[in-house]
Amino acid sequence: MKRRDFLKFIGAGGLGAAAGFIFGRTGKPPGAKLMPVLIPDDNITLGLANYYSSLCTQCGAGCGIQARVMDGRVKKIEGNPGHPVSKGKLCALGQAGVQSLYNPDRIKTPLKRRGERGTGDYVEISWDEALKAVTANLAEIEKQKKADKLFLLTSPQRGSLGGLMRGFMAGIGSANIHEYELSRYLNLQYANKVSMGLDGLPYYDIANTRYLLSFGADFSSTWASPVNMSYGYGQMRQGAHRGKLVQVEPRMSLTGANADEWVPARPGSEAILALAIAHAIVEKGWYKGADAGAWRSLLGRYSPKDVQEMTDVSTERIYSIAKEISSNKPSMVIGGDGLASYDNGISGHVAVNILNHLIGANGAIGGVLPNDHDSGKVDFKRGIAPFNQAALSGNASALIVHNANPAFTTPVAAKTGEALRKIPFIVSLTSFMDETSVYADIILPIHTGLEDWGDDTPSPGVGFPVRTIMQPVVTPVYDTKSAGDIFLSVAASLGGKTASSLKAGSFAQYVKDSWQGAYAKDRAMASSALTFEEFWNNLLKKGGWWTDQEPKKRSINVSAQAVSAYLPQGQAKFDGKDTDYPLYLVLYQQHGMRDGRGANLPWLQELADPTTTVVWGSWVDINPKTAASRGIKEGDLVTVESPYGKVTLPAYLYPAIRPDTVGMPIGQGHSAYGRFARSRGANPIEILPFKEDARSGAYALNSTRVRLSSNGKGNMVKIEGSTKELGRGIIRTVSSKG
Amino acid sequence: MRLFQQPANGNMKTIITLVIIGVVGAVSFVVGYGVNYAFFSDFTPEQPIEFSHKIHAGDNKIPCMYCHIYAERSRVSGVPNVQRCIGCHKIIKTDSPLIQKLTEYWDKKEPIPWVKVYNLPDYVHFTHKRHIKAGLDCKLCHGDVASMDRITQVSSLQMGWCLNCHASRDVANGRDCWTCHK
Repeated sequence: MKRRDFLKFIGAGGLGAAAGFIFGRTGKPPGAKLMPVLIPDDNITLGLANYYSSLCTQCGAGCGIQARVMDGRVKKIEGNPGHPVSKGKLCALGQAGVQSLYNPDRIKTPLKRRGERGTGDYVEISWDEALKAVTANLAEIEKQKKADKLFLLTSPQRGSLGGLMRGFMAGIGSANIHEYELSRYLNLQYANKVSMGLDGLPYYDIANTRYLLSFGADFSSTWASPVNMSYGYGQMRQGAHRGKLVQVEPRMSLTGANADEWVPARPGSEAILALAIAHAIVEKGWYKGADAGAWRSLLGRYSPKDVQEMTDVSTERIYSIAKEISSNKPSMVIGGDGLASYDNGISGHVAVNILNHLIGANGAIGGVLPNDHDSGKVDFKRGIAPFNQAALSGNASALIVHNANPAFTTPVAAKTGEALRKIPFIVSLTSFMDETSVYADIILPIHTGLEDWGDDTPSPGVGFPVRTIMQPVVTPVYDTKSAGDIFLSVAASLGGKTASSLKAGSFAQYVKDSWQGAYAKDRAMASSALTFEEFWNNLLKKGGWWTDQEPKKRSINVSAQAVSAYLPQGQAKFDGKDTDYPLYLVLYQQHGMRDGRGANLPWLQELADPTTTVVWGSWVDINPKTAASRGIKEGDLVTVESPYGKVTLPAYLYPAIRPDTVGMPIGQGHSAYGRFARSRGANPIEILPFKEDARSGAYALNSTRVRLSSNGKGNMVKIEGSTKELGRGIIRTVSSKG
Repeated sequence: MRLFQQPANGNMKTIITLVIIGVVGAVSFVVGYGVNYAFFSDFTPEQPIEFSHKIHAGDNKIPCMYCHIYAERSRVSGVPNVQRCIGCHKIIKTDSPLIQKLTEYWDKKEPIPWVKVYNLPDYVHFTHKRHIKAGLDCKLCHGDVASMDRITQVSSLQMGWCLNCHASRDVANGRDCWTCHK
């Protein structure tokens, strides 16, 4: 060996050893600490998990959950296997409830506004001071006899908390309770009320149907009760009779992607299409009911031939759907956002009810079944438009907001921000600083669902009575309170009628009392246990009250006379002339984000959208043909302009959207709501007109046309490589007709 | 002396030299890492309070599971809760400065930040319960704690060490990867 080589090896050896030594030092875990608990909890064995049954509050579906809790921390949330709604399953939003609980952007103490409204400039105050400020304001209102100027804006409440709120408002003497959420399916509920006399949302027995025609109901992702309906859909596709799904929607959703047939009817013409199918059924004599004659004359003007131009669905296809849906029993039609989101949303749902009547799906197994339980009546007159109107005209002097965020989910044209600015005193009960809470004078941080008591009657239910209980599964992480306790303590300090009507010492007690009331009345409940305490303990173990039942069939009638006033006159209206604004705009809720509530949870931001695979942002869906004719490439920034405003987003070239339509997901584009949500993507709701149907209180999401302009290169992160198989023959298909 | 008899072309020679340098470097890296691990690691870290196992478990013969209450039924044996310490030391030896330090933590309602001595990586699924149920003495892994003033790590906790014991005792599934890595 040469001396030179020898030195080289020595050098290499020395350097290697030194590197190894240094790596060994720096690579060591930092002196791990072993922190003891001060006082042990008898219910906790360190290192062992406890499972608690409770209720998911991430959306309004009302799934029963089981939380796995270890060392006093929630580790995982799953569906409660015994619960009739969730059946042991849970969606991504529900699972991310852990991140709502431990979110770094939770409001940790009560806050008082220091700066201008909307700037989010707050100082921390004590609970004592905060509650005193609220009580003083409400006492002043009582004193001046202006109780009718007090408003309560809350997310829909179907359980004890709702009862407590109504008691509180009644005690003060105000009837102004506005329950608000972007998707309350008001058009659907209104249509069911006027055509079938049903309150609340019905149960769709997807599991037992053999032919399902869905008008834009993305039930496997976001619509109504996605966990329960996805489970039902799984049942429907299994077994001897594999059910068929036909999805009508201008932009293919996750549900549409799973369907056997996708019918991209022209946006706004879906109601007409439904009636054309109904017309075909009656015309061909596939409907055998005694009232066939009445229907024939009522539906005369919707013949498939006459409407094929408007709906862009061929006559043959309409007849073939009509034939299949009449011959494959049980069959069912579901009307989802693809019907409800237009200004003629009520007509659309009435049309679906007619169709369900003609195929015998109303009240049938494998069809639309009413729920036996009472999930609360909807006050259609209390939408967000009357609320804004009252505030803008100075008729609101105080507002209590609870978990509602209309400032994010209403268009700029609705003037919600302006309305909120006009209200002299706003107190917000919330866990996060959302777009509505930034207008509040006092912020009262409340527990998340995993720290609080409560209960719920699911809507849509499952065809038999279900009531779910919510219990705290961990001790509160921050200095927060239960919303129910806040109402109770304010009522107590107000005194008078409010205090005397709400006597419970705590919200936990209030919930228990309301169950004791139910136990005293319900014979099935009473016979399930010897004492109420035993019943209560079983309840907490099981996660709620239900008896194992199968849904029963009912007789429901839709009469031609009752619905004649609600038939659609033509295609839904879209603002903007088609020469200036050539494209329809359709909005949809995104899988994890829903109405925007999921945007502050990093798991959901990271979760690839099921149809586009985009993460951490939003986009605009454009058909490749439409994009090519405008020189737009995938990922380019595109400005979408309506007569009411514009938003700029990267383009996603989506072959499964009509060329005359662009789509945008709802949920991103927050200006507040924490570090993960803020300044990400855009909120397409901003550029909508504000057309609230005065009858149902729902406002139309799909009601404007837009134009596009290219705006340079954008930044869109997605997981998929390409939607094309590039001639590699990966997916081979054979025609079923041979 | 020529290292290689076959006169390789220039490129080949450089490559071979580089490979050998790489191998020598890698071997030395492992040696350096091992030297650091064996001679420069602190297996007897200083604790926030000079707690003596010798006094408790040795002189006073307090059974291990009087304080490490979860060992029999859980993954972890459980570092004793502060209430357990103060339970006795409200009365016993309150004049000692060490006990006063303990009382200070208790009064402030702060946990004592003990330094971890036996540390397993996250990807190892170890449970005390199984090992106690199998009738193993704590000493087998933790050494003669009753004679230690300050706890020292007596076992390597390396995978080979685990497997040797599993093999010698004929543990069911004791060599299955999934027994510990799941």
